[in-house]
Amino acid sequence: MNPYFKRSRIPSVIPTASMADIAFMLIIFFMLTTVFTATRGIEYGLPKNEPITDIQPRESIYIYIRSGGGLTIDGAPVRSLEELAGYIQGKMEETAGKKPVIIRTDPSAPYGRTVEILDLLKLLKVKNISIPTQTDLELWKDYFGE
Amino acid sequence: MRYRAQRLSPVIPTASMADIAFLLIIFFMYATTFSLDGTTVDLPESLIQQDVQKDAAIVAITAENEIWVSDGVEKSVRMTSEQELRDSIADIVTRFPGRQFIIKCDTQTPYENFNRIYEILIENNATNVSLLTEQKYQEAPR
Repeated sequence: MNPYFKRSRIPSVIPTASMADIAFMLIIFFMLTTVFTATRGIEYGLPKNEPITDIQPRESIYIYIRSGGGLTIDGAPVRSLEELAGYIQGKMEETAGKKPVIIRTDPSAPYGRTVEILDLLKLLKVKNISIPTQTDLELWKDYFGE
Repeated sequence: MRYRAQRLSPVIPTASMADIAFLLIIFFMYATTFSLDGTTVDLPESLIQQDVQKDAAIVAITAENEIWVSDGVEKSVRMTSEQELRDSIADIVTRFPGRQFIIKCDTQTPYENFNRIYEILIENNATNVSLLTEQKYQEAPR
């Protein structure tokens, strides 16, 4: 055996110097792809696909959201949500919470306004909330007007 | 007796760097949900909030009136026509009866855009929707 070839003593180690780099690359990937999604909302049971014939608007509370977001309740203008809440609470107490509330929204009004009213009604624990479609409203013109 | 100052080379300890990094990775892996719908909308705010059902179908309406639909399994697809929208919703209701629909609609969207989806859902006998909102923190009128 050649005496010049001596087995070198290299200690066996796992190289971990780049571990942090790899980990930080993974962090960057997850940070970029993570989307903290909104997973909560207001639940609303849809009506059945049947023509509604037994509509009794005089027995209901009728909220109309105008194109600019202004409100009327049973035909009278309302200035604030507090006023609207007060009116609805009064009517609910009179009828033990049985009175249905109809929300009609002008087609050009912002959607967010309807959600705001729906939220208020749910907060006031109104059980019977109806959001008629524009097609339904066409059929109910005689009751609600244009 | 003479004391000689020990010559220690200045180093930043990096031994625990990988541990910290991996802890952060675990956090992001846990927090990441690969969202089926990637649309960006400005959601309305509400005080009342309920959790949406797991695997619910999603209908997203953006401020530009783009409509994206996901069945809750596949990633959302942009609808290019009224017929495509109707067919997609009808298909979801047929394949997954009773599945909740999440409506993810921009707060400034004109109501008629929402109404369009609302009517199609009723026509197809969808039973339940969740109007996606962000938590509102201001005090409600009592």
